[in-house]
Amino acid sequence: MAAQWDTSRYLGLFVSEATEHLDALGKELVRLEGGVTPEAIDSLFRHSHSVKGMAGSMGYEATTALAHSLEDLLDRVRTDPARLDRAVADVVLQAVDALGGHVKAANAGKPFPDSAALIAQLKELTHSIRPGTEPQPSASTPANAPLVESEGPREPELPPRWLVTLRVASTSAQPGVRGFLAYKRLSSLGNLFRCTPGIDEVKAGKLPNGTFTVELESSEPEAVVSKTVSQVADVALVSLSRVASAPPVPSAEEPKPAEPEPRVVGQEPPRTVRVRTELLDEFLDLAGELMLATAGVREVGRTLEETDRGRLNETVDRLHGLVRGLHDKVMKARMTPVSVITDRLPRAARDIARRRGREIELVLSGSEVELDRAIVDELADPVLHLLRNAIDHGVEPPEERRMRGKPPRGTVKLSVKRASDRVLLEVEDDGRGMDVERLKALAVERGLLTAEAARELPEREALLLSTAPGLTTATSVTDISGRGVGMDAVKRAVEAVGGTLEITSRRGLGTTFRLSLPLTVAMVNLLLVGLGDDVYGLPIAKVAGVVETTRASLAHSRDVPVLQFGSAVVPARELSQVLEVPGRPHDVDAVSPFVVVDTDDGRVALAVDALLGQEEVVLKALRRPLDQVPGLAGVTVLGSGRAVFILDVARLERPVRAAAAGET
Amino acid sequence: MSKRVLVVDDSVFMRDIIKDIFAAGGFSVVGEAGNGVEAVEKYKELKPDLVTMDLVMPYRNGIDATREILRGDARALVVMCSALGQETMVMEAIEAGAVDFIVKPPRAEDVLAVVKKVLGES
Amino acid sequence: MRHVIFRLERDRYALPLDAVREVVNAPLSYTRVPHARAAVKGVMTLRGRVVPVVDLALLLAAVTVSERPPPSPKVVLLELARRELGLLVTEVEGIESIEKVGPQNRSRLVRGLARVGPVSVTVLDVEGLDAAVAASFANG
Repeated sequence: MAAQWDTSRYLGLFVSEATEHLDALGKELVRLEGGVTPEAIDSLFRHSHSVKGMAGSMGYEATTALAHSLEDLLDRVRTDPARLDRAVADVVLQAVDALGGHVKAANAGKPFPDSAALIAQLKELTHSIRPGTEPQPSASTPANAPLVESEGPREPELPPRWLVTLRVASTSAQPGVRGFLAYKRLSSLGNLFRCTPGIDEVKAGKLPNGTFTVELESSEPEAVVSKTVSQVADVALVSLSRVASAPPVPSAEEPKPAEPEPRVVGQEPPRTVRVRTELLDEFLDLAGELMLATAGVREVGRTLEETDRGRLNETVDRLHGLVRGLHDKVMKARMTPVSVITDRLPRAARDIARRRGREIELVLSGSEVELDRAIVDELADPVLHLLRNAIDHGVEPPEERRMRGKPPRGTVKLSVKRASDRVLLEVEDDGRGMDVERLKALAVERGLLTAEAARELPEREALLLSTAPGLTTATSVTDISGRGVGMDAVKRAVEAVGGTLEITSRRGLGTTFRLSLPLTVAMVNLLLVGLGDDVYGLPIAKVAGVVETTRASLAHSRDVPVLQFGSAVVPARELSQVLEVPGRPHDVDAVSPFVVVDTDDGRVALAVDALLGQEEVVLKALRRPLDQVPGLAGVTVLGSGRAVFILDVARLERPVRAAAAGET
Repeated sequence: MSKRVLVVDDSVFMRDIIKDIFAAGGFSVVGEAGNGVEAVEKYKELKPDLVTMDLVMPYRNGIDATREILRGDARALVVMCSALGQETMVMEAIEAGAVDFIVKPPRAEDVLAVVKKVLGES
Repeated sequence: MRHVIFRLERDRYALPLDAVREVVNAPLSYTRVPHARAAVKGVMTLRGRVVPVVDLALLLAAVTVSERPPPSPKVVLLELARRELGLLVTEVEGIESIEKVGPQNRSRLVRGLARVGPVSVTVLDVEGLDAAVAASFANG
């Protein structure tokens, strides 16, 4: 709604009137916290509506958008005044303040402040106050979060949606009226969307083959829907099926008819369709199995005569290319923007900050970057925890910040960047930073480190001590996050999806947690090792190197055999003992490969019988009961059809090392 | 017990046809009205299971009468009687809350089919 | 209710047909599962799927295992909520209808005894088996 005329002569009037409305809005709202009536909310709504109209007339798009979001929220609250709780009131006040900022900027001829985050917050809140829903508890992600399209924040649970196809009998005297009657009857069960052809066509009796379809969003059971239709004479129910919920249509009183005319292809927006997340998992499984099957065919080809093999291999190569392409497409379909997680963080940040008496500005960037759905799902809790951690333990209370010459309002930045085949997610605060010496001292106190080792520990690794289970540097234990327990879980979750966690911290200046994540989880590069007749896979990412030596040549430290690796000594273990599988008897003077791997508790050398090479494989998740087995990260099937377990190297050695640590 | 019907039409001729259809179909016509005002009064008095309502009548048309009846009893079942060419009015009546409609001149099987559906009897 | 009847050595057992996905020949070798108890044979691959297999005789500890391996052992594949579990048995005999299950020998793994014609059959409890299997995998 750009202004067509010179608006400058109205500016004075705009500023004074808008200010009046905003002042009134703020005052009335604060008064309301005593007792809410629909009339009072009406009044708030009217003020907000007036500001929107005035800003629109002046051509202030940003202001109009903000006022519009506020109006939507108030409109929603109007239907259920009890929902105007303190959280909602706070956001409304924030919006009023921000609008005041816009008015001031307009008056001073300065650029308007950016209110995108606030608008997003208003929208999220508006959606969460859907009629008939209970107030949402603060942000936490359900374990099986549904896939959300790239547009808009995640919706709260909607009633199921039905695709209803109806046929009006050709003998009907007034098919249009019949159709409309059926439509009206359905509308008594819930909200209707996407009537095809449009409702005006239906009313006019323009029904292709006598049928039309409409989507019904209703919590009524299937039987009620079909019974309702059956009560309309001359109308038959052709089909009734559940559809996945579509993106929200804001307060659709009168649904718009679908466009009956085909649109020009070039103008068509990208079409999306919702797919059950399990279906995506199944696609991935199938694509993975196709790859394995292809490898199997190639394996069979090896037994053929040279002449036949050439033609077979050619075909297998083509098949492999196609399957690889399919796999890539499936992976692409699984890509989900990080915003699925971050959209809810502003609200969470505000809640945490208020509970902890902090003032926080949360700056989000790069939320449009996409990752595999499985990784995004796994990250929801860790990211929320990092945010909590930053606010709770990082950012100081306002008084303390003032004393240190910092602005009272702390800043937490959450940025997401794509870096070649990885995604970097950083959570950075400008708080007090971590005390490396204190961390080391605690670790020594808890017996996790010797004093000597602590002294030599580089800062980078010392900071990671904060992720050790049970270690906390918070001066007080809070209800929000005991740092140790939570950080341990964060590190584990990040590593489970193939990522790494890095911490940098400057005392007094702040802390940055950096998550480096793979784009997808499905492919993993393995070092295959032989143990007797068994084969195991070790993720190459966790392998530091291989040393070939005899058991007899190992040194001992406190009765534990150790291996010289570079400048360090690492404990040496039999992989068969670690896994509790029967090992082959070995000659202590025979040369064996020792694979040096990085575990959570440091490096360990694992003695194996043979190195069988590297392979890039499709990792399958373990299902019950295999997921109960300690030390396994997944399983894959090689071209030969043999199943190979992939070891969870990071946690392979934990029980043994814990016992060893007890001795020192 | 047979269902109780109120027949509303300004034409006595039409009322008789409709009454006969109901009688043959096993319904009992408990009352009749010749205009919208009378229809609302009779409805309150008789509380019938179903009303058939002519669209165009003197004093108060069928749409207004339907609206008024539903205001008093949201669960009232009102079936409109319309002629061909009155589609727009029928749709207005449906918006007002009428549950179905029959087309005049009424054929017995059509009327009974619609009414039974509305009463959930088929 | 229809049941799959099979033998462990000479004793007959039954599982509800609903829970059985298919019966396949036992593989020649398995992939060993770390930390698992003796009853766990390992995992087998079946058309690209990875299926854990348990030696049912050892799990039930009900029969003395003969020294001689059976001529054509079978794996009964149970389908349990999006996952599969293989039970290694001596031989599968067929499908029979079992209506009445007597309370004899009832335990966590056994629903009871039933008669199929002249023979007596031990009817197994699918959920109980599943729980026992889970326990034998999480040994570590």
